[in-house]
Amino acid sequence: MRYVTERLNDIIAGLVTLAVGLFIVLQGRSYSVGELRNMGPGYFPVAIGCAMVLLSVVMIATAKPADDQMGTSWHQVRGMVFVTAGFAAFALTIEPFGMLAAVALAVFLSALASRATSIVTALVLAVATAAACVLLFRVGLGLQIQAF
Amino acid sequence: MISDVLAGLSVALSVDGLLYCFLGVFLGTFVGVLPGIGIMATLAMLMPITYHLSPNFALIMLAGIYYGASYGGSTAAILMNLPGTATSAVTGLDGYPMAMQGRAGQALFMTAIASFVGSMFGVVLLVCFSVPLSRIALQFGPQEYVALMLLGLIAASVIGSGRTIRSLASVSLGLALGLIGLDLNSGTARFTFGQAQLFDGLPLVALAIGLFGLPGIISNAGRTTLPKVEQTNFRLRNMMPTREDWRRSSMPMLRGSSVGGFFGALPGTGGLVATFVSYAIERKVSRRPEEFGKGAIEGVAAPEAANNSAVQAAFIPTLSLGIPGDPVMAIMLGVMMVHGILPGPTLIQSSPDLFWGLIVSFVIGNLMLLVLNLPLVGLWVRLLSIPYNLLSPVIVALTCIGIYSVNYQVSDIAILVAFGFLGLGMRALDFEAAPLLLGFVLGPMVEEYFRRALTISNGDLGTFTERPISAVIMVIVALLLVWAVVSSVLQMRRGRVRHAS
Repeated sequence: MRYVTERLNDIIAGLVTLAVGLFIVLQGRSYSVGELRNMGPGYFPVAIGCAMVLLSVVMIATAKPADDQMGTSWHQVRGMVFVTAGFAAFALTIEPFGMLAAVALAVFLSALASRATSIVTALVLAVATAAACVLLFRVGLGLQIQAF
Repeated sequence: MISDVLAGLSVALSVDGLLYCFLGVFLGTFVGVLPGIGIMATLAMLMPITYHLSPNFALIMLAGIYYGASYGGSTAAILMNLPGTATSAVTGLDGYPMAMQGRAGQALFMTAIASFVGSMFGVVLLVCFSVPLSRIALQFGPQEYVALMLLGLIAASVIGSGRTIRSLASVSLGLALGLIGLDLNSGTARFTFGQAQLFDGLPLVALAIGLFGLPGIISNAGRTTLPKVEQTNFRLRNMMPTREDWRRSSMPMLRGSSVGGFFGALPGTGGLVATFVSYAIERKVSRRPEEFGKGAIEGVAAPEAANNSAVQAAFIPTLSLGIPGDPVMAIMLGVMMVHGILPGPTLIQSSPDLFWGLIVSFVIGNLMLLVLNLPLVGLWVRLLSIPYNLLSPVIVALTCIGIYSVNYQVSDIAILVAFGFLGLGMRALDFEAAPLLLGFVLGPMVEEYFRRALTISNGDLGTFTERPISAVIMVIVALLLVWAVVSSVLQMRRGRVRHAS
């Protein structure tokens, strides 16, 4: 068991590669594969998938103990959640509500990713960035994005 | 030839040419200076801007961003020991100790000079080798192209990466991702899962920013403190290196330029290998090897020259063969294709204004950078004191607008975030993202040429070893693959021995 836990990073990497490779092979086989002299759309994907399966075998067979432990600190999780929320907010609001609202929301949410930023700072930054973006991109460069 | 060069001059020296060249080097330096944002991320984030320009100016600006960012990347490495890229990490090895000794000005000055010398060396190589190489390449068949692309892909994973098998897996995944969309030969939709947006393939910009920009933004977003920058007086007079500095730096600069030119022109290697090799060479030949790592100016001058020489030399295979040597060149090639330019050996003859315009712009851009980085370096230093927690939300917003303005598709933002998480996952498992991007851009081309070669040879794989050039390259490829497996077995053995003791 210790053999596996010490080599966890390499083994997980190998298993992920194996899974992706198998998926590509299976999906590729659903297209016409053909033969070397007349390759179908499935030939190349199947070949790539097989290569990945082979690589995953080498990866698992030569797994070695990791030097440093994997680990994410809390501020990274917080960053991930809020930055993703910022992007999602932009994607959801850009078409119905326009650039002003979308940029303000994206900046406000992603500003909260850092604990050093207070809500008031985030609000001010959001409004200022949104106004500047509208001026620069809509008025200045004339991008075809509605301001509101 | 003369008229071609003149056509290039008229492109690069036109008002628009100068403007976009300046915009490129300025924005490149600007984003490159910001700590923790590397060249790939810079290029990926600024790429959408160039989509609205004509191809000549788009490439001039994109190239400016590239070498501008490699100038700027070393500033954060020297002042804060926070390199944006692995290449500027080498500069920080001796640059940061110099800054700690109060010699930051000299380190920055020498960096700018060394970068300029290296770049000019690379441009000379580019001019000397591109045209003859493209003449030879006109005789290449699909076999040679398959062989060269395989060499590029496999060399990029095996050389300069500690984890070769993982990088080969990244390349494979990239090749597969490149196949997403309609197969041009049969019209079959591959890996699209019924999503009509995917019929044209994955958008390069969203994929590149997701993989290279987002992991950095996400993992730094929560960060509260950054190292403080010593507010030294960056006036030109105080930055002047001493006579001793010049004497010690001149030979390392020349050696670094040669090393960089060599590795930059090889497919798959490039700046990273060049900087490491040139640093190692300087430590070997130095009469004071003990000073390295403690603020030896040779350790700043040589890798900077090597890096920038490699940056320019990397354009040789890209422009004369249409084969990108590194992921940055893959992006350049992708942008060319978006603009409808077919990269390849005929490019130099068919669009001389593009080729020579680009080369002239390299010279002008590097001169501009000299001005931007010597008298104006204080500006960049002040930029480093903007708190990161205020900067990163603005970067998020600009990234959103940039991506959205390429196609006006909300799905591009979803793809961006998805690849951001793929990038984070790959980081956690020690996979490199650069080979993936190279595979993604080359994937469709490799498949196309591979099919063509085997249709011509009637399904005989021996066709790749019958022609001398492709045979030689295939042997090198095979050796690299054997080396990849052998080295990972050796690493495992070594790990076991160390673990037992």
